Amino acid sequence: MSIGGIEGIGGLAGAGFTPFQAPRIDGAGGAGGIGGTSGIGGPGGLGGTQGVAGGSSFSDLVLDGIDRLEGVQDKASTLGVQAATGQLDNIHDYTLAASQAQVTTQLTVAVRNKAVEAFTEIMRMPI
Amino acid sequence: MGAFDLLRIAGSSLGMHQTWLDALGHNIANANTVSSTGEDAFRAQYVVARSRADGGVDVSGVALGDAEGRMVHSPDHPLADADGYVRLPEIDMSSQMTQLVMAQRGFQASVQVTKNAQETYNAALQIGRA
Repeated sequence: MSIGGIEGIGGLAGAGFTPFQAPRIDGAGGAGGIGGTSGIGGPGGLGGTQGVAGGSSFSDLVLDGIDRLEGVQDKASTLGVQAATGQLDNIHDYTLAASQAQVTTQLTVAVRNKAVEAFTEIMRMPI
Repeated sequence: MGAFDLLRIAGSSLGMHQTWLDALGHNIANANTVSSTGEDAFRAQYVVARSRADGGVDVSGVALGDAEGRMVHSPDHPLADADGYVRLPEIDMSSQMTQLVMAQRGFQASVQVTKNAQETYNAALQIGRA
């Protein structure tokens, strides 16, 4: 993606530059989850240059994200109750679930803030 | 949950090290457990770890140590046989203590990995923030 830009510079210099290939762990396809954030670009598409298809996929993305957030938070609170009642086998199970819930929540809030920002930006547009 | 693979991997490592610590504690606790010559000595537990194909580590099993132990002459012991011998487990205490430090350090290293993972995720959240 952005590495392609570096490749282009290499092309100008005339040198056969090969971009660095990050090692991949099998089954780590989950990076697609992060890639999903690129859907934030969706509202940009509403500007009329890309078409409207980006709009529905962005809302799907937000709904999916909120669903997943709910699952992660449920897991963390279940483990928290287990920790409080002394039924927790591994302490790290709770702390990991809690930090995962924290990061997921922050990500969801960041996406929401970006969406609101894009909306207000459009609303501010003079007609 | 692909986005949190690093946390999952570190979690599996924490679990494995905790099992290892449990086994070492069990071995050290029973280092002086006496049994009669007619039965097995306490068998030390050795945790067998195996790497996971999708990242992380699993406890693939627990191997048991020598059941023979060593015979100790202790005629006053209530479990002593007719010749006055009892059976003590063959546990090398210095090896167990060394492994205890290794397991503890491994656990701490995995905790550090989770901290770094969280810092990394937080850094990613800063992208595009004014």
